[in-house]
Amino acid sequence: MSDVDSYILFDAVNNILNEGEFRGSIISKCIDSSDSIIFSENITISRSEGIKITQGLRVGFEEVTYKRVAFSRKLDYDNNTQDISIEYSILIPEDVMHLYDEGQFSDAFPFTLNLLHTAGLYLRDPKNTINHLDFFKGEILKNPISLIMNGILVADRVVIDHRGDPVFYDCLIVGRDQDEKLKVSYEPLANVDDKVVEYIIILGIEELKI
Amino acid sequence: MLIYENFKAKLINILKFGINPFRKFVSTGEIREDLGLVNSRKPLLENLMSIIEDNKNCIVPIIGNVGIGKTHLYWALKNRMYYHNAIYLSLDEIYKRFFYTIYSEFIEVIGLEPLRNIVNQLVNKWGALERKFGFFHIVDTKKIKQSALKMINHKFEEDEKTALHDIITGITTHQLDPYKKIEAERWLLGEIMDIRELTRLNMMNDLTKNRNAYVMLKLLIENSKLGTILFIDDFESIVKSYPSQDDTDEVFDPSWLYGKEDSPDEILSQKLLRRVLKLQKIDGLRIIITLKSRKSLEDVKKNISKIDEKILNFIKDPLCLSNFEEPDIYELYTKSMKNFLENGNFTKIPTDLFEDYYPLNKKILENIYDISKGNPREILKMLIKIFNEIIFSNKNLSEVREKYENTSISP
Repeated sequence: MSDVDSYILFDAVNNILNEGEFRGSIISKCIDSSDSIIFSENITISRSEGIKITQGLRVGFEEVTYKRVAFSRKLDYDNNTQDISIEYSILIPEDVMHLYDEGQFSDAFPFTLNLLHTAGLYLRDPKNTINHLDFFKGEILKNPISLIMNGILVADRVVIDHRGDPVFYDCLIVGRDQDEKLKVSYEPLANVDDKVVEYIIILGIEELKI
Repeated sequence: MLIYENFKAKLINILKFGINPFRKFVSTGEIREDLGLVNSRKPLLENLMSIIEDNKNCIVPIIGNVGIGKTHLYWALKNRMYYHNAIYLSLDEIYKRFFYTIYSEFIEVIGLEPLRNIVNQLVNKWGALERKFGFFHIVDTKKIKQSALKMINHKFEEDEKTALHDIITGITTHQLDPYKKIEAERWLLGEIMDIRELTRLNMMNDLTKNRNAYVMLKLLIENSKLGTILFIDDFESIVKSYPSQDDTDEVFDPSWLYGKEDSPDEILSQKLLRRVLKLQKIDGLRIIITLKSRKSLEDVKKNISKIDEKILNFIKDPLCLSNFEEPDIYELYTKSMKNFLENGNFTKIPTDLFEDYYPLNKKILENIYDISKGNPREILKMLIKIFNEIIFSNKNLSEVREKYENTSISP
């Protein structure tokens, strides 16, 4: 992981709280049963009024009739009125986003599969395991979001290799180091063993178009 | 172990293979030339380079007689300013599809990968990298086209708007639609496309249409990271193509058919000149024109003032290429011989062999200079002739040398 200076807006573990209104590419990790993630363009943080996010997108797993199903839905978050609490919020530095942007629309990957609706590709759960990795072996899937041990990985595309392991391309990785400090990095390619993957969700384009 | 080698004899043997170190006396825009300029011309090149670097838009006239080395100057400039896209154009060859020809030359000069980069940057600028929820890119071609139109519409004239629609469609399709990318790239490279292919791309015309080629050229040049130099050779052919009415002694007067003002040739020339001057509106395009005399420059200026007087402000003071000075012929000879050996991979022959101008000598070179009056093309013609005699005749070297030391050489 090539560390890049990141801008930590809020970190419940290290007691960091930067007050203000922030705009850009913001990732917030929630403390809930499915470790859901909120992606947003804005966040307002204040000691008195708490954390507010407007027009964010929350992605994770939820339980529907005893089964765990991937979801992604728009969200206006206010920690005073909602049960979900946030573990951290990070504003991804613009230079990292620039690298991420450059990796998009690559000539080498013209025939990428877009899923219409958000779906779980992989979930490591003893009771409700989801594993469609074999089914998509060799395919290129657009917009994967993954939780890997303690880190979040957002990529432009994922390919399932011949061993059935996911290979992410054009990735943003947010995670904690040994000292529990938050780090952000950009990787053009991340080869991940499926044993360390908590979940992979493929974001549906319908969620993005509306 | 070889302790002595007769390099002079070896050089003659190499020449006897039939390779003349002086093979051509006319420089063209197609065949690359690596031989630099002679010392006396270096200040002129430096001057030209500083004009190009200091001015984003300019027209620089270069004046010089036939065979003085104007086209060779293009290659010297291109080699020195390798960080610019330099395009060579001879007006004799392009009366039709003017902008398309320049576009094709431009694409050839920049190459495919930089072309892809430029269009990629353009599409990104038009909003292709807009991120939903701060992260996720969604391709909304319609929105990107609208934003592109909004951003660049004002840079183009009314009659170029239809072409602009085609250009924006072509670029966005190339970058954002992987299923039509191959056709869009063919279009981008200026290939002729049939109506079925154009319909699939949702376009009216390919780039053979002059307006489309101009709009595309303007977009690419203005968004290229490198500056662009357009070298137009024999520019006076624009005014030369129609003789002045006073000089002609014709039985048939074209004015009987076409009116008193303009002959068809004159109309054609004006049209061509108008197109050249339109190029001047492209930001970052430096135009170099070559002319044979100051009078031609005055004629060109007169014609330009008829079209748009403002353009005269962009015309810089002319740079004059003069004949070789005497030391230049020695330098040219030595450089050419060294270059000949290097290109032929004859590296074992020491280059100090040419200190006495072997296989010729100083007297012969002096003779050549006097007869040619320092005109580089004439000098080269004579050198070719002498070397042909050394290579192909049965005379030995001393006989050939004696002949050209004492007698005059006709080129």
